[in-house]
Amino acid sequence: MTVTRRQTLAGLAGALSLPAFSGVSFAQAGGTFRIGALNPVTGAGSPYGSGMQKMILAAVEAVNAAGGAAGRKLEVFAEDTQTQPQAAVLAAKKLIEVNKVQAVLGTWASGVSLAVMPLTNEAGAILMNTSGAPALSVAPANAKGLGYRFQATNDRFGRAFAEIAVKEGFKRAATMAFNNASGIGNTEGFRKAWEAKGNKVVESVVYEPNQASYRGELQKVLAAKPDVIVTGSYLADTTIILREWFQTGENTKWIIPGWAANPELVKAVGNEVAEGLFSVDSVSNEQAPSFKVYDEAYRKAMNQGGLSNVYAAMTWDMVITLALAMEAAGPNADVAAINAKIREVANPEGTKVYSFAEGKEALKKGKINYEGASSVLDFDQFGDVTPDFGVSIVSKGTIERKYVVKI
Amino acid sequence: MRDIIELASIGLVSGLVIGLAALAVTLVFGIARFANAATGDTMTLGAYAALIGTAWTGSFLAGGALGIAAGAATGLLAYHFVFKKLEQRSSVASLLASIGVGFVIRAVLGLVFGHGQQVFQLPMVRPFRIYDIRVQPNDLKIAAAAIVTLVVVFLILHATPIGRRMRAVADDPMLAKVSGIAPKRVMIALWALAGGVSAVAGVLLGMKTVVSPEMGWEMLLPAFAAAVLGGIGHPVGAVVAGILLGVAQEVVSPLVGFTYKIALTYAVLLGVLLFRPRGLFGRNEGVR
Repeated sequence: MTVTRRQTLAGLAGALSLPAFSGVSFAQAGGTFRIGALNPVTGAGSPYGSGMQKMILAAVEAVNAAGGAAGRKLEVFAEDTQTQPQAAVLAAKKLIEVNKVQAVLGTWASGVSLAVMPLTNEAGAILMNTSGAPALSVAPANAKGLGYRFQATNDRFGRAFAEIAVKEGFKRAATMAFNNASGIGNTEGFRKAWEAKGNKVVESVVYEPNQASYRGELQKVLAAKPDVIVTGSYLADTTIILREWFQTGENTKWIIPGWAANPELVKAVGNEVAEGLFSVDSVSNEQAPSFKVYDEAYRKAMNQGGLSNVYAAMTWDMVITLALAMEAAGPNADVAAINAKIREVANPEGTKVYSFAEGKEALKKGKINYEGASSVLDFDQFGDVTPDFGVSIVSKGTIERKYVVKI
Repeated sequence: MRDIIELASIGLVSGLVIGLAALAVTLVFGIARFANAATGDTMTLGAYAALIGTAWTGSFLAGGALGIAAGAATGLLAYHFVFKKLEQRSSVASLLASIGVGFVIRAVLGLVFGHGQQVFQLPMVRPFRIYDIRVQPNDLKIAAAAIVTLVVVFLILHATPIGRRMRAVADDPMLAKVSGIAPKRVMIALWALAGGVSAVAGVLLGMKTVVSPEMGWEMLLPAFAAAVLGGIGHPVGAVVAGILLGVAQEVVSPLVGFTYKIALTYAVLLGVLLFRPRGLFGRNEGVR
């Protein structure tokens, strides 16, 4: 088929008039509530991004199939952050100014969430993220209380690291942190919890990205003769550091966050170097009925189990939580009224519910407490949750979950 | 003391890689007379080509050779399509164009190979000790490759007719022209050489670290710093300055804190330029 200029123009005109039409229906019937799915489809977050986005769409489908939230259907506009703050800011601007979304869901990586949050705050929109930086909890980032974090903070990761180090019987811990809010957040969280248990951090190093070598850093840490090194690091720097560490001939153990100690890392450094690494990640609420519902949706959309993507369980919960809050706030509630209801539908007390349809029914009788697929999803005063942590050990090239730690 | 010697040897290896990149920068500056910001991305391209070559043949040497060939080809293409056309303009035009060339290379690499990291699967071996100082076999290989490259480049510059012409053009382009030296052939030799040297730097950096589309771009500042420190346009100076910066970074940063590693490069640069504004080896001597 050939497309003539006239057809193209007609098409363009049609496309341009669409938002105007939906605006009309919005005004008449309470219509739709618009949300932005802003996820790391490409870049460092790409192993997770597509699944995260698809679970937003799947959860929205489930909400709409149950008759929508307080009479309103949800409508999704999807964008890619490219896992880069600049690209994410452009995409968020487009979502807020052009698509007029009232909530942005699923930003990944602290740099991205910190960059997007001023925009959502300015627009009075809700931002639900999966990032770890402690700065996202408090003012100025979360000055308006519109931010919710479905992932553990780096501080909580650090606490989990300390639990594990104690459980494994380590005595002399050292830390290495990538010089940003997330990396230092991890190791500082560890230091606080580790020292509270009466231990000492024998050496700590903060390093710069993109160096030709990290041997000086390693040498300083290793000189303190630690039995374990705890990191706040990312994939590339962890790869370089572990390769250089192995070639120093030292035998230390490593506790590394799961986003760095993943199958990619094992592939890059080889089985021998990776043997015995501890990989720590937050785990989904795997025994809950809500996880089963999510798992089914994930299998349908991505053709693999929901366990493979902890962040997709979080984005699933974002939609359900938001929709339940809308339901609780009643017809035509504005964002502020919806925001005020989020803790009410997610935290105890109340009837425990595991899906939107169930929660919608239960709301008619009284208070509810949504237990998520990603965690029990109880938000504290900062909008943070406390998931459980899975501890995996690399053995012969595979990362195997050994036990779960609660903090 | 043992620690300091170990740190210095680590810095020496990093410094050789920085020095190679600085050599590529300084060669282009000496002869084509502009700062080539595409040097970093030519490094990256060389590293990716070497990854492909290594995967095909299973040999790091063959992979490296393909990397060098790809780097040289990139240099020649950039000259033919971009820098030749800008020869008569001011050097700022070429500098700006080189930023664009680098951007294109980076974007294409990102598109073709993705933004995830790739690694050279070097065998991971434990170190051996000489007088209780740890020596890593992979470091020795990387240092040897860098030194061989430097020897070859200096042989080309000082023991071949084309090298002599290149030095003549660097010294005085007008005089070279009236002496009957065809500038075009000199330029072709220059771009092939600079591209090849960049590629070696990229391959060695890739072996030390990880290969990603941004790796070379991020090495550009240290490379420029070393080129300036060595006395811009001076090949020996660039290499010596690279090593100096590498060693200074490793030895001093444990004392002042590793977050100052990058700043340290510039502190050294500042210090030297305060006392020797022409850089370590000065511009006057040039590539001669």
